[in-house]
Amino acid sequence: MSAMTQNRVVKAHERIPEIPEKIFLFRSCTGSMEYPGTEHCVEFVLKKLGIEIIKDADQSCCSGYILTCSGYPAEPSLAVTARNLGMVEQRYGLDTYTFCNGCFGYNTELKHILDHHPEYKKMANDLIGQWGYHYEGNSHVYHVQELWYLLLDRIKEMVVRPLTGLRIASHYGCHYLAQQYGILDEGDLPTFHEEIYEALGATPVFFKERRMCCAYAVGRGFTHPENVVQPHLARKFDSAKEEGVELMTTTCPGCNVALDREQPKLAKRGFGPYDIPVIDIGQLIALALGAPIEEIGFNANSTPVEPVLKKLGFLND
Amino acid sequence: MPRENMTEWDNELYQKVDRYNLVPNLEQCLQCGKCTGNCPVAAMHPSYNPRQIVHDILAGDSDRILQSEEIWRCMWCANCYRVCPVDIHYPLLMMQLRYLALENGYGLKYVTPINKYAYRAFTGGLTFIPGQRGVDKIKGLREGIGVEPWPKVSEKAIAEYGAIFEQTGAVDWMKALDEVQAKGEEKPVKLSFMGGRLIDERYDTE
Ligand code: SF4
Ligand code: SF4
Repeated sequence: MSAMTQNRVVKAHERIPEIPEKIFLFRSCTGSMEYPGTEHCVEFVLKKLGIEIIKDADQSCCSGYILTCSGYPAEPSLAVTARNLGMVEQRYGLDTYTFCNGCFGYNTELKHILDHHPEYKKMANDLIGQWGYHYEGNSHVYHVQELWYLLLDRIKEMVVRPLTGLRIASHYGCHYLAQQYGILDEGDLPTFHEEIYEALGATPVFFKERRMCCAYAVGRGFTHPENVVQPHLARKFDSAKEEGVELMTTTCPGCNVALDREQPKLAKRGFGPYDIPVIDIGQLIALALGAPIEEIGFNANSTPVEPVLKKLGFLND
Repeated sequence: MPRENMTEWDNELYQKVDRYNLVPNLEQCLQCGKCTGNCPVAAMHPSYNPRQIVHDILAGDSDRILQSEEIWRCMWCANCYRVCPVDIHYPLLMMQLRYLALENGYGLKYVTPINKYAYRAFTGGLTFIPGQRGVDKIKGLREGIGVEPWPKVSEKAIAEYGAIFEQTGAVDWMKALDEVQAKGEEKPVKLSFMGGRLIDERYDTE
């Protein structure tokens, strides 16, 4: 136990000392089904930055979400993590980059358990050995948002659609920020997303409840019913509305589902109404870097993004 | 509210909860309450109190905690863990506490509906695959932005993913819960920490 002595925050260039030429991109189930534009935009930006992307159809779901609802025991998730990360290590020798805080948090947490409990690592390796996999634990798990921040100067130079005057607020997501050790920014008052907005020409907005959980974290509507989730979200959106937030970004398709799809439902319970569109920060960067609007996938959103695009004058190009 | 019966307390509750040995430092809890002060659920529902739950696990108040409705309210946001001065991994404690509650017949209604999606993941390799209409909508959206209509997940990935769940006994564990429920043997949960508290009714009518 070294809680008080260990650094919880790591400088970006210490966390990722060398910009990779090639990364393994971890598919997110929620991302590819709920907001397919997210993955597409993440790839668009990575390509612009000259980073080669490896994906593999043999990768499975990270299995973390239902685990954290106590939907099944931990053994399968430990083995699934060993299988996915072991496969990436063996086949490509690359680090894994996720674009979902869930995939990031669960892979990181389960990897931590595998790396610190030899008995679980052996259990997992014995099991996945039947298909020829082996998990060593010699690669890292990162989130692409960390690359966005590290390569911010390059991104800034490539902006072709500046987001001038747009009031954007961030939802960082607990499963990134609440990692105890080794995240990019201070868990209580992170600002690296706001720095990204500025680089894209937008105006960052801080609101009181910006750090508040999306409430989707575990089993929205399952393990915790609507009467827990909705008043919680209403508090968050009231506070965002007060500060005149015009757009909110996430780094997690799960958070995006909660914050975007829940807004129309909140009105029915007498909260709001709210109309703050919520998109992935990768989509935001792709927008500023000139990705064709129809390829960004805003039509997957429940709270329409069009008013913001109109305001910026982007709908006619 | 009935008083707890001292004779039914369980001295080994902590060991039973932490079955995977993932929270070995629980006894270092200072009862400082930082977890509760940072918890968004506690902010709305005073009856949900992570500090008290840690206390009750250590004290062995098995009766109260396993039938508690509150333990199903945690959102797993881990803000308690982030601020805990002794690094107690409360979310992993909560995950395991829920296992014990489930195995004692409590709270199944909060978990078995999600497992419909787990079973679907064994044949589709993705978690949260919706019904046919939803699938069609997703395909339309994906084609609209110029990517393949369905994410590429190999047969190999799906087969191995499912086999891992079979071979670790996870599927049997899930089916056992389904059976308890089908037989009507699920036990009711109740608010356990409410004595003498005032709460906003809007938040607590189910
Ligand atoms: S913050 Fe940690 S030490 Fe303090 S009461 Fe909560 S669990 Fe115990
Ligand atoms: S993980 Fe649960 S107990 Fe901890 S702060 Fe979040 S909701 Fe509260």
